Amino acid sequence: METVDDSPTPTPACSSSDSKPPPSPNPSSISSPLPPSATRLWRPAAQRNLRNQWSKLASQRQQWASASSSGKSHANSLVNAYLSQRYMPSLELGVLSDMAGIRKKACRKLFKQQEIYRSKVLSSYKDMVAAVTQMLNASQSMRCFLKGTSNSILVQFSGSSEDQNDTGDGGGIPVFVFWSISSHEELAEELVQMFKMELMLKRLLVLEFLSITCEVPQVNGFHWSDELYPGEFDHLRVCNLFSEETCEPVPPKLMNLKSDTPVVGCNNQPNQEVLQVYLTTWLAEVNINNYRVDEIFDVIQEEMHVRLK
Amino acid sequence: MEAMVKKYQQKLRKVRDEINHWDDLQSCLLSQFRNAASIIERLQVIQDSKNYGSLNCMDDIVNAVLTKQLESLEVILVSLKKTMEEFHGIVLSIEKIHRDSRQQIKGGSSKPSVKQLQQRVGIKPSLADCLDGLMVLCDMHHSEYRLKASVVSALSTLTFKPSASDLCALQQLLVDQPNIPKDEGMHRTQNDRTSINSKKHMDKA
Repeated sequence: METVDDSPTPTPACSSSDSKPPPSPNPSSISSPLPPSATRLWRPAAQRNLRNQWSKLASQRQQWASASSSGKSHANSLVNAYLSQRYMPSLELGVLSDMAGIRKKACRKLFKQQEIYRSKVLSSYKDMVAAVTQMLNASQSMRCFLKGTSNSILVQFSGSSEDQNDTGDGGGIPVFVFWSISSHEELAEELVQMFKMELMLKRLLVLEFLSITCEVPQVNGFHWSDELYPGEFDHLRVCNLFSEETCEPVPPKLMNLKSDTPVVGCNNQPNQEVLQVYLTTWLAEVNINNYRVDEIFDVIQEEMHVRLK
Repeated sequence: MEAMVKKYQQKLRKVRDEINHWDDLQSCLLSQFRNAASIIERLQVIQDSKNYGSLNCMDDIVNAVLTKQLESLEVILVSLKKTMEEFHGIVLSIEKIHRDSRQQIKGGSSKPSVKQLQQRVGIKPSLADCLDGLMVLCDMHHSEYRLKASVVSALSTLTFKPSASDLCALQQLLVDQPNIPKDEGMHRTQNDRTSINSKKHMDKA
């Protein structure tokens, strides 16, 4: 960002509203493009907004955690029902073996249970998508724009830009103590990125769990390009997790690693070890570095002097 | 003498508090142990890329999952260690109460005679009963603590050569608390209400 040192005019040097100024090592040296009176009022408004957005991020993180853990327990039950059904023919039934059709009935019941758990797993996934969408939304609503003209008596602020010269970051001044809006945005983006990556990994696992079945002839399982619930692709598009090129969600990958390997069709009848690995992978949340997440929230809490959660 | 017995009942109540704390720690220890054991049990399965099914489309997934699980195991082992330290604290505290009580009798100004030690007032226990009870409690918890400590250290050595049956046996040892018999104390100190109460609390473990 070019510093405005020769003119006190309220016009910032930035040409477009979406170009972010780089975080300045010494933001206090930058003069705000807003008139001093507006800056004085901008700060409390920006502070209020940041507190709101960060507390949304914190609460969505909790939402994610609870959706993820209930998803895990549904997946667990699903796997148990599936394995029980699969081993039913070889199960030693003792005195019960005299009862007519008992194996068939048990299988029927286990099959029904799987249906129920499948839909529960899916609904947990839906909750996780919602949490990520909300997080993304909060991370992109950190700027605070002047509403109306700066000359009006009543100074108001809003979340959307009306004047394309207004970058919504108060000219890059620190909002609380040290950090400008764009530094806040960077941290929030880092946070959201982890959850986005993990969401795609979870999607792959959900796909696998939805596909397992003991039924012969085997129905074809789900494909990566299938929409798992109505509106899923719209949600993923919002999160930038849908590739318009390939017309399917972006393939899952690990943080900081490139992976262009397309997802291959899933095996409908995975063995016990594979299922155990799937459940463990669900639990491990490899893309979410919890230490870093905690650190981000700690830093932010210190900066804003509030307790989130 | 009666005042003395009262003092002892107070001490036994303190011991009972410590034993309640022990019970809380016991359930905490068990859940930590179970969590650690279930990670250790699956370590072999998650090291083999053959078991990753369609997750193999992600580079480095085996390594990532394994690393995460080892990290969690590490965290659990650290908290297990902390729990063990708390158990140790309880043992030390019960031992101190016992030591102090003995000191009061042996080193106090009014040295009670053997007869006084065994004297009962109404339904209250004799001083000798109280001292015996304290010593038993002390021994039980001391030995149990040492057993637990060796089980926990055996767990970390199992990490790289896990055996499901060994893990199961170790866990059973923790659950059973063989050094703290469930009914024994009841017969020994039938007349000591405080002591009986404290045993009852112990039984819940």
